[in-house]
Amino acid sequence: MQSDNTDFLRFVFILFKAMQKDNLGYVYRGRFTQEITDNILALTENKLEKEEQSSKIKKRVYSILVECLQNITRHQNDIKDDLPDNNGLFVIQKHDDKYFITTGNMVMNNNIDYIKKLIETINSLEKEDLKNYYKIVLEGGSLSSKGGAGLGLIDMARKSGNKLHYHFSRVNKDSSFFYLHTIPSLEGIEGSLEHKEESLNNIINIHNTLNKENILLVSNGPFNQESLMILLGSLEGQMKGTISHKKKVFYIVVEMLQNIVKHGYTLDSSHNSVPGVFIIGENKGLYTIITGNYVDINKTKALKKKLENVNSLSMEKLDEYFNKCLFNFESDSSKKAGLGIIDLRIKSGNPLSYSFIKTAQDSVFFSLQTVITTV
Amino acid sequence: MTETLIIEAKEDTPKIVFDPANRLFQISASSLPENAIGFYEPVIKWLNDYSVNPIDLTVFDFSFEYFNTASAKQIAKILLILENIAKEHEVVINWHYKKEDSDMLSSGSRFSKLIDLNFNFVGY
Repeated sequence: MQSDNTDFLRFVFILFKAMQKDNLGYVYRGRFTQEITDNILALTENKLEKEEQSSKIKKRVYSILVECLQNITRHQNDIKDDLPDNNGLFVIQKHDDKYFITTGNMVMNNNIDYIKKLIETINSLEKEDLKNYYKIVLEGGSLSSKGGAGLGLIDMARKSGNKLHYHFSRVNKDSSFFYLHTIPSLEGIEGSLEHKEESLNNIINIHNTLNKENILLVSNGPFNQESLMILLGSLEGQMKGTISHKKKVFYIVVEMLQNIVKHGYTLDSSHNSVPGVFIIGENKGLYTIITGNYVDINKTKALKKKLENVNSLSMEKLDEYFNKCLFNFESDSSKKAGLGIIDLRIKSGNPLSYSFIKTAQDSVFFSLQTVITTV
Repeated sequence: MTETLIIEAKEDTPKIVFDPANRLFQISASSLPENAIGFYEPVIKWLNDYSVNPIDLTVFDFSFEYFNTASAKQIAKILLILENIAKEHEVVINWHYKKEDSDMLSSGSRFSKLIDLNFNFVGY
């Protein structure tokens, strides 16, 4: 039986810090189906509606997004080998009022030179020349057997108004992972190349962690009821398995997210939202859900005790404990029903793993992991 | 007779229809508000008022798509009021659940064991 799993869950805090550092909003790693593409678009559209005033920027980010996602779906079947990390990658972040979109997919090593040359050519061209080049490629149509790869990249460069950044990470003798970093903005961005490199490196590091831990989705807070509802909507389309299994995952996700919203600790009380991270991993139908957030150091002792208690009880005793809390209206406040953790333990059928990492004088980073066994 | 109470469903709060004249008592859709106490306060107040002079047979339909644990506690409160009404009047609970949603059935059967009321379980 696990309990305090600090070493194992340390990566949650590392991931959270890395996402915060570069203001990464949302990372998805996996197969890209039409449904998932639609969800990512909806999620980003919503994010843009909330954050962005300029409708020009909104439109630009959106159209690049569509292009990037199509690029992944178009190429995700290029690699036939069943490699563990033959998954696409999508990342969106906002920095200094600029959006950064990073996508990734596997490519064959013998295509790398061609892609590199194409990007270098695109990057060397000025706006007008790029337009002409687009026409030449469009008419010639001989660049790619997929009938679009070249055009897609040219289009991204044209729409973003900025140079494309890329990186290839070698996977084995046949294949590599291709990262493409785009910045949709109205004016060209000059001189901040270093930051872009650093930001791409950070994403590559995060991606390595996701591969290692088999994580599908990471959503960086801040969390509030509203962002929770959007996230739930996007998850519904991404889950696999039977309806009853999906429903169970949904129950657990809601409780875990509301735990962050209700108990998460924030230094900045001016905002009605709490910093945190939400992670979902899936392996052969087995879902792992992890949340991470700061908690008040004065509350950790009671929380730890409750978790230990819940993990030590038999199913029968858990049921009794649940019923006792259900009808205990003394502790009835909008902050807590006191049932969440017991419910997580009952519904998942597994002990809960957790960790506490002291981060400052008055706060502790708390990670909680629930594993949902297929029924 | 107590006036009707109708609250339309939102993304995270359920639909409420309490209409004694038409013998309708229904809670449906999803309940996962951040502040469950706040949402259920007028609902519980209405039921307390109603319990003073209820109709002879109260058939109460719960058809939740989903509810969170904070809402579970408020549902427990509602059931306790109904249990009280049932001491002198007839009360029937219809607990609707999707056949695939075994957790929703478990929640209903948990309530039925803890509260002295007639429960019908209706799978759909």
